[in-house]
Amino acid sequence: MILFTVLAVSSAVFLGIHRLPGDALFNEHLHGVEYQNILHHYGLDQPLWTQYTNYLTGMFIHGDLGESFVNRGVKIAPLVLREATVSAEVGFVALIFTIGLGMLLGVVAAVRQNTWVDYVLSTTSVIGYSMPNFVIATFLILFFAVWLDNSTDGTFYFQIGWPGTYGSIGAIWLPAFALGFPYASIVARLTRASMLEVIRQDYIRTARAKGLQETVIMVRHALRNALIPVVTILGPLVIGIITGGVVIENVFGIPGLGKEFATSILNRDYNIVIGVFTMYAALIGIANLGVDLLYVVIDPRIRY
Amino acid sequence: MAATAAAVVVRPVVPEQASLWSDAWRRLRRNRLALAGAIYLTFLLAVALVAFVYTPYRMAGVAVAQPYSGPSVAHWFGADLLGRDVLSRVMVGAQISLTVGIGTQLVVLAVGIPIGLIAGYFGGWIDSVVSFAVNVFYGVPNLLIALLLVVLLGHPGLDKIIIAISVTGWMDMTRLVRGQTLALREREFIEAARASGARPIKILFGHILPNALGPVIVQATFGVPAAILFEAFLSFLGLGVPAPQPSWGSMAADGLTAIRIAPHMVIAPSIALSLTLMAFNFLGDGLRDALDPRSRR
Repeated sequence: MILFTVLAVSSAVFLGIHRLPGDALFNEHLHGVEYQNILHHYGLDQPLWTQYTNYLTGMFIHGDLGESFVNRGVKIAPLVLREATVSAEVGFVALIFTIGLGMLLGVVAAVRQNTWVDYVLSTTSVIGYSMPNFVIATFLILFFAVWLDNSTDGTFYFQIGWPGTYGSIGAIWLPAFALGFPYASIVARLTRASMLEVIRQDYIRTARAKGLQETVIMVRHALRNALIPVVTILGPLVIGIITGGVVIENVFGIPGLGKEFATSILNRDYNIVIGVFTMYAALIGIANLGVDLLYVVIDPRIRY
Repeated sequence: MAATAAAVVVRPVVPEQASLWSDAWRRLRRNRLALAGAIYLTFLLAVALVAFVYTPYRMAGVAVAQPYSGPSVAHWFGADLLGRDVLSRVMVGAQISLTVGIGTQLVVLAVGIPIGLIAGYFGGWIDSVVSFAVNVFYGVPNLLIALLLVVLLGHPGLDKIIIAISVTGWMDMTRLVRGQTLALREREFIEAARASGARPIKILFGHILPNALGPVIVQATFGVPAAILFEAFLSFLGLGVPAPQPSWGSMAADGLTAIRIAPHMVIAPSIALSLTLMAFNFLGDGLRDALDPRSRR
């Protein structure tokens, strides 16, 4: 299934891009033999069908996505693979934020239903999913990087963005927060609604009658069943975080797939555009598979 | 004598006539957040219309102020990197956002409603094809498809952006209308219409659509901010409306590069954008609660 998606997406992008007017080497003002050599180097002098089959065999058999037009000699497959791991790390932290924060806020709002806590949290969540992630990112930068830095005379300083190493959460929690917050708001709303539904059920009353502690009832009995509707939106959520990364990576200058995507489109580096799209299709396929497997863990009633 | 007394006794207490729509309007008025959203959007629409004939300075007028200068009496929202008046550009940006948001929803309604009605009413292979297409479009991430479409459609422009966003947004409406049609077509009044010889087109648009209108309006209200958000993303990445035209997304992107020296450049369009999206979402929430009281939590 993942292979099919990758094949479909990359074929559509490949054929679509090759139908575009103009050519990627236009700006170099090459002439005669020079131009022919370059065309031959990239296989662009062959008929479209041959190019397409070459591309497919290259991708599926050799794991080769071709070579960049702009940075000649740079192979695309290792490039996008490395960038995908960067994006995946930021996305993973964002996902943890989304689910953790969203569920926490949702449960608190449900337990304190119709109090000021509930109203504040519910309004915050509408504001949260109404704010584009780059606006949230902008305000985080304004606060942490500009205001705190200026007002403490540079004493408060830490690197925001990609520090160049994996696993250093200190620098990527801001981007991850900006990426995850809109979705956390959606998760909070869903959790609140389904918690409210579950709390009124008979087995919760039974648990109360048994004399169980309120926290045990909420966490062990209510939350577990309230989770099920939340799990169903995990798929769109993961896709949203992956695509949201395109914008966030550009704001924070994180060298991930999203930054490469925007750069290569603006550079008309079509081979990279195709490669990035293929990589995205694979990433989303893998994420969806992971979500499907997770359903089974959380809801034992689902069987495959 | 007896007759008049009897007449007085049996006269029923006529309840105040309340149609579905007036009932919904009454509930909507009581929702303060939705009302605030509607008022803000009216204001925004007025601003966008006024910007056609009057802006404090010309939208593309370079060096009407010191570049990067902050808010002042002459320039309420300050000036940008070329010394253009940010307030004027935010006003014109409202035009772009509203055009994209509403234009996209018009396309989505024009495409989604007929397809959804036909697929839901006739079923069979038409329904299978439509459902398959909807599922395929749900499977691919819509931001990436919109980005790709903007690239593939060539020179950027408002029409291209509206097309790109509509392509990624039509299936929500189609799925909704199809589901409503599936539920409605089994009802007695549709059967009565069919029995009295009404043609399918009359049944679809005269009987089914009016009864599905509530959820469709709610969906369209939520679709507008989604489209505005998309346009902002595209413009933010440099793939939106071409250069002198201001879009809130591209203004924010410009401002982000100068965030240390001129934070007003990014704050003004960001707040305008957030308020607009928020207003649409509050209004959508309010409309949903008003039109379908059962869904209220």
